[in-house]
Amino acid sequence: MIRLLTFVSILVTFNFAQAASNNIQLKPVLIDLNNKASLQRGAKIYVNNCLGCHTLKYQRYVKFIDHLSLTKEEIEKNLIFTTNKDGEQTKIGSLILNSVNTDTAIEAFGVVPPDLTLIARSRGSEWLYTFLTSFYEDDSRPLGVNNTLYPNVGMPHVLSWMEGLKKAQLSDKGQIIYAYKGSMTAEEYDSTIVDLVNFLVYVSEPAQLDRYRIGFWVIIFLSLFSFVAYLLKNEYWKDVK
Amino acid sequence: MNKFMNWIDRRLPVSNFVKNHLSQYYAPKNFNFFYYFGALAIFIFILQIVTGIFLTINYKPDAAQAFASVEYIMRDVEWGWLIRYLHSTGASFFFIVIYLHMFRAMLYGSYKNPRELLWLFGMLIFVLLMAEAFMGYLLPWGQMSYWGAQVIISLFGAIPYFGESLALWIRGDYVISDATLNRFFAFHVIALPLLLFALIYLHLAALHTTGSNNPDGIEIKQNKNEDGIPKDGIPFHPYYTVKDIFGLSVFLLVFTFIVFFMPELGGFFLEKDNFVPADPLKTPEHIVPVWYFTPFYAILRAIPDKLGGVLAMGLAIFVLFLLPWIDRCSTKSIRYRSKTYKVLLSLFVISFISLGYIGMSAATPIMTWIGRFFTLIYFGFFVALYFTSVNEKTKEVPDRVTMHD
Repeated sequence: MIRLLTFVSILVTFNFAQAASNNIQLKPVLIDLNNKASLQRGAKIYVNNCLGCHTLKYQRYVKFIDHLSLTKEEIEKNLIFTTNKDGEQTKIGSLILNSVNTDTAIEAFGVVPPDLTLIARSRGSEWLYTFLTSFYEDDSRPLGVNNTLYPNVGMPHVLSWMEGLKKAQLSDKGQIIYAYKGSMTAEEYDSTIVDLVNFLVYVSEPAQLDRYRIGFWVIIFLSLFSFVAYLLKNEYWKDVK
Repeated sequence: MNKFMNWIDRRLPVSNFVKNHLSQYYAPKNFNFFYYFGALAIFIFILQIVTGIFLTINYKPDAAQAFASVEYIMRDVEWGWLIRYLHSTGASFFFIVIYLHMFRAMLYGSYKNPRELLWLFGMLIFVLLMAEAFMGYLLPWGQMSYWGAQVIISLFGAIPYFGESLALWIRGDYVISDATLNRFFAFHVIALPLLLFALIYLHLAALHTTGSNNPDGIEIKQNKNEDGIPKDGIPFHPYYTVKDIFGLSVFLLVFTFIVFFMPELGGFFLEKDNFVPADPLKTPEHIVPVWYFTPFYAILRAIPDKLGGVLAMGLAIFVLFLLPWIDRCSTKSIRYRSKTYKVLLSLFVISFISLGYIGMSAATPIMTWIGRFFTLIYFGFFVALYFTSVNEKTKEVPDRVTMHD
């Protein structure tokens, strides 16, 4: 509900102050990298909807075995849809690439869709979450959509088949009007985006899965070590007057 | 064992070295908190060398591959992420430790007669360290690496007559490019570390010639017992080795907390924009140097003229070299100095920290004016110190050191 309210306020703000679009408040999102199911769903959404244009060129499929608790077979069956020139399925040890032709991409969108491996580190999870929930109908744009957070973005609303397409204006009662409906309710779409953002946060730095866990023990060890070192120091120093 | 040591000692003076520099090297017994940072600086230097070696094993100093090779280290190299974070966090902590180490010298007058050379070597280390950090920051080849280097090197262009040629000579190209990356790599991994190593050796040699100063600013060598041992001295080993082990373990507690739980430290240690590969055609909105350069960057921006700014920034560093001669008060420690010095030093610290903050903020007119104000205070410290220190009213310094702990 709060998220919905925030979104409404964003749309309202947008109507009154288009110029201030860069100062839009980012919506908070709860990231939970221990939620493997969420990461798995996020990976699935990514390869099905995003990978066609956006590579994850620093990440390898094989990492999903350890990090997302998937088997080699599951990954090959559900996540790897690309092939090499001979038509053989991409190997699991490969980097996550696509076959976007840069010239075509520039012709279609004006830019080559950026690689998204590190997007969660450069933009932050809240930015991604806000961006992916801020598309609205705008007939003045070539692709018919615009984004409140990133005005005149070249990217179409790829997930509109899930979310539907919001109109810029609210109804008289202050509710969101859809230009057309998608396959999901607002809540379902929201949780889908949370999964996707969760996945992108993971992929931006897989080491997060290790460093919190290991760091905990390092801190415990060093605390004990400091204590012993302190006692040792006092033992030596007791004769210094 | 004795036989073995005798054999060695006839060929290499190992036992003598240990005696002269550890077990019979006498250090004042009243070192406080601020005296941990010298040993810690050496620790970080070694840490940077060791982690640096492991990073170079997988890093590629090539504009087309550098960014990806860093991500390769972060993802595919076993423990690569840890080595990289130790190195990146180590860089920032090197400056934290060095700034506190320098502040200690200002608190207790450690740069004064007879330790002027010690201070000068230290200052040279500081300047080289800045160059080392600056060049290292280019290597990940992110947006901030690229544009930060672009901005800083273009500053040389402000020098009249040969400035532009100088900047061109440093870059090896008209913009930051593969040629720049390659030479910065060479400087970062071999040239500057070698120089640093030599200077640290000289710094320590000078230290062990004069002996350490202490929080009371008393020369302990002037008060020796019948065996010729300073009455206020204790052997470095074991007393300060065990104390430094304790200091190191507490330091590591803080250090590893950041490495494991917040390696970016909210953008202070690793900037967000540096996770975007360098793009010569796309200038980031705010080009901000890493935090340890921001006080000097704020001074640069405070002066409306480019050449003037560069000169002011250079002077801000150079004036520190002259500190032993600017401060003309013979009493060393702040404990026995006048209220004036305490006020001046406090203002200096406030201005340095404020300039650091201003240097990382967007250059709005108000911020620039606040920056000018603190720049004035920064330089004002040295001017005021020169005139007030000559006839400073100091308290009487005791003969023997005091223990506070």
